[in-house]
Amino acid sequence: MSRWHRSVDELAARRRQHECERAQDALSRVTSCFQQLVALVGSSADGSFLRDELDETRAVAHRICSGLSCRLLRSLSNSDFAPSGVQDRQVLERLWVLFLSALEHFLYDLRKACDLIGQFPLTEHSNRRSLVNTGCVDGVVGVAARVASVQLPWLTSEVEPSPDLTNHITGLETMMSEMQQRVPVAFWSVEATQPAWAEARGEPDDLVESLEDLMEVEVIAGSKKTACCGLGCVG
Amino acid sequence: MKAHFGPAQSGAYSLSRLTSKHKQAEKVVLEMQDPTTGVKLQPQRLVITTIPHAITGKQICLFYSEARSFGSMLVALGYIYPIQDHKRLVVKPDASLYRFQTPYFWPTQQWPVEDTDYAIYLAKRNIRKKGILELHEQEQYNHLHKWMNHKWDFIVMQAKEQYRAAKERKKPDRVVFDCQERAYWVVHRPPVRTHTCMFLSLQKTFMIFTQQSIMRPRVKSSVSIGALVKYCATYKGHDPFLSKCLPSNPWLTDDVTYWALNMPNVEIPTKMRVERWTFSFGELLSDPRGRDDFRLFLKKEFSGENLAFWEGCEDLKWGTAATMKEKAEQIYKTFLARGAPRWINIDGKTMEITVKGLKHPHRYVLDAAQTHIYMLMKKVSKHVSSDSQLEQNARNRRPSLSPIIIRQQEQEQKAKMAASAPVDITQLCRFTTPVPHLAVYSGMTDPPSANASPSLPFLAHTPACPSPISVALDSTSASERRAEASEGESEGNPEARASAGGNVSKSRMALSLRRLLKRGCTPSSMFASLSPKCNPAAGTSSRIQPISPDEPSQAPPRRIGNFFQIKVDIPPECRIYPIESEDEDEENRAVSRERVGTKEIICPWESLTPQNGTG
Repeated sequence: MSRWHRSVDELAARRRQHECERAQDALSRVTSCFQQLVALVGSSADGSFLRDELDETRAVAHRICSGLSCRLLRSLSNSDFAPSGVQDRQVLERLWVLFLSALEHFLYDLRKACDLIGQFPLTEHSNRRSLVNTGCVDGVVGVAARVASVQLPWLTSEVEPSPDLTNHITGLETMMSEMQQRVPVAFWSVEATQPAWAEARGEPDDLVESLEDLMEVEVIAGSKKTACCGLGCVG
Repeated sequence: MKAHFGPAQSGAYSLSRLTSKHKQAEKVVLEMQDPTTGVKLQPQRLVITTIPHAITGKQICLFYSEARSFGSMLVALGYIYPIQDHKRLVVKPDASLYRFQTPYFWPTQQWPVEDTDYAIYLAKRNIRKKGILELHEQEQYNHLHKWMNHKWDFIVMQAKEQYRAAKERKKPDRVVFDCQERAYWVVHRPPVRTHTCMFLSLQKTFMIFTQQSIMRPRVKSSVSIGALVKYCATYKGHDPFLSKCLPSNPWLTDDVTYWALNMPNVEIPTKMRVERWTFSFGELLSDPRGRDDFRLFLKKEFSGENLAFWEGCEDLKWGTAATMKEKAEQIYKTFLARGAPRWINIDGKTMEITVKGLKHPHRYVLDAAQTHIYMLMKKVSKHVSSDSQLEQNARNRRPSLSPIIIRQQEQEQKAKMAASAPVDITQLCRFTTPVPHLAVYSGMTDPPSANASPSLPFLAHTPACPSPISVALDSTSASERRAEASEGESEGNPEARASAGGNVSKSRMALSLRRLLKRGCTPSSMFASLSPKCNPAAGTSSRIQPISPDEPSQAPPRRIGNFFQIKVDIPPECRIYPIESEDEDEENRAVSRERVGTKEIICPWESLTPQNGTG
């Protein structure tokens, strides 16, 4: 193959790789927002708005997963032909392992959501009486906005109807087993790119507040309340 | 290390998999939400905001009639979490605040606790606390980083995203979510302490129990049956229905002489009763009369504070909740504080845990120290010479006082003892004269003074098997079993008492005992040096063989005698060993961290490895 062809292939491969990485980031973002939403199911902040947002978020996640799994499958199945090198293959395998981990993690939350929605149906008004008073009151507008901010090339182009919750779960399970059967990736050969404790040095732009700061109790004059929630330790 | 991405289980997570305990707890939690009949909610005022839906411990207790323990179960399982003292999963029946856990974090069985989630949580904490995690969290982090290295990038990425997603919430909600998450991990990944004193939550207790059941060393039935036989042989003579009960069995005849002779505060205990005390230290301590004698003895040796401390701990454990705090403080001031008037000598680590626990006193806060002192006293009881009230058997008295008066006497005596100074030694002469025909030798005495009869090592114990009988033994109150009265003659008892002479010089004994007590040595070292037969799992080398008639030379000469000098002539095939294996096992477990090769308590999540489908 000519050098020109090779470089085009390499560029294409690189582009696909970047796409997958961005998709992986997006998936993490959407699934963490999903977790914030599921944590409210069954609590006093539960409601129809929350349930709708759950479905929306799930749909976005579904689209990301489908697109990403397709691309990864394609890349890893075809890379036997491309002379792009061992390194590219390694990167792809790493993405593969990360994607499967994310899928598994998301499935866990999905199953919880399914059980909780079954346990706390909001079909009648009397159901609201048994919602647990956890202290959360606010809606999740910010979280929903965060989900909506996710952008991926195929999100708008490859729109398919999103499944309901149960089918979504079974669909993901099937996807995972299929992927593992078709491409044999040795997950133990994948290593972390950053060392342990590295994330502690990150995020210089945020003001990180510890839980103790947030939990500081109002000191009323004359009362015996202590200034802090009594953690006295790493909170 | 097999790892696989589990598609695993199909989506059939039915609620029928919940255990009944969880079902019950969830039902109650939902009942508590009812706006009219449920628990009263109140706001929690923080500096930055006010968060609603807090409940006090008192209200939890008021809600349910058997509430105290049920409320504790709810907290231990994780359905309710404490806001202020978040690491202690107990219900304090006061104004301490709690909150209901959100159903997402409920501990249902069909959602196994995943290590991946814990890793993400730790990474998130790492981001927030800039690397300053607690010790057990650091250990877990490192462990997970190694074990989940292949998906570590995902874990970090997810942690960052979760952190950012949480910031999208309004502040009060964010605080609540953080508290909820933290509470979840306190329940499911508590720090495991390797000290003797472990305050286990109910759920963790259950998990550890089942895992330890699996790992418990097995004992041959022949061995456990042997223990049973020994127990029966030991106690048969003391059972009023199995053996002849003198003067008569009060349950069969109407003659209450037997009970009168064995009342708790009788001045002269019967021979059988004293013999019972030789069976185990627990017997001695649970019989108030035996305890009195022991107390007097300890006083003589200027170490009565140990027994007083032990009694104080018992008082704390069994006393009313209202007085608990003061009692704990009192005990601390009297026995534990630096420069305390009756300072007890416990090792540094136990002292540290105890003092720490006393910051939030509860019924069992002194358990570690009490166990230490118990073991110490137990050793003492084997190495102290005594005793002679047996010679007074001939002069049995027959009081016939009503229980009310007896109780009054007990109270008076308690008050008197609390106020009294160390006992005058001259009053204790009755402990010093041995009874010639009632002396027994363990392998612990000087060879020259031993006689030809077979000796009975009191420290010999059954092969290591946690016999359930010994548990029953320890828990049987002494008041239920009374020894036979005797008029100083041996009964038709296979273990006939034969006479033998000799005793041990008191001064040598007193000196070594004082050294023993003041040394303040740990139970493990004492045990190792004094026990004739150590637990096979122990790594100590100083083993002392039990004395048998065939090998008298194996015993290293000991200069101390025994608290009891009862001579028992026993045919070799029917040796009586005081059944103390349970105690020894407890002790061994307590000091297992110092030994090589013993099993430590396994953290529940370490054995969950095969369940975690992730790699």
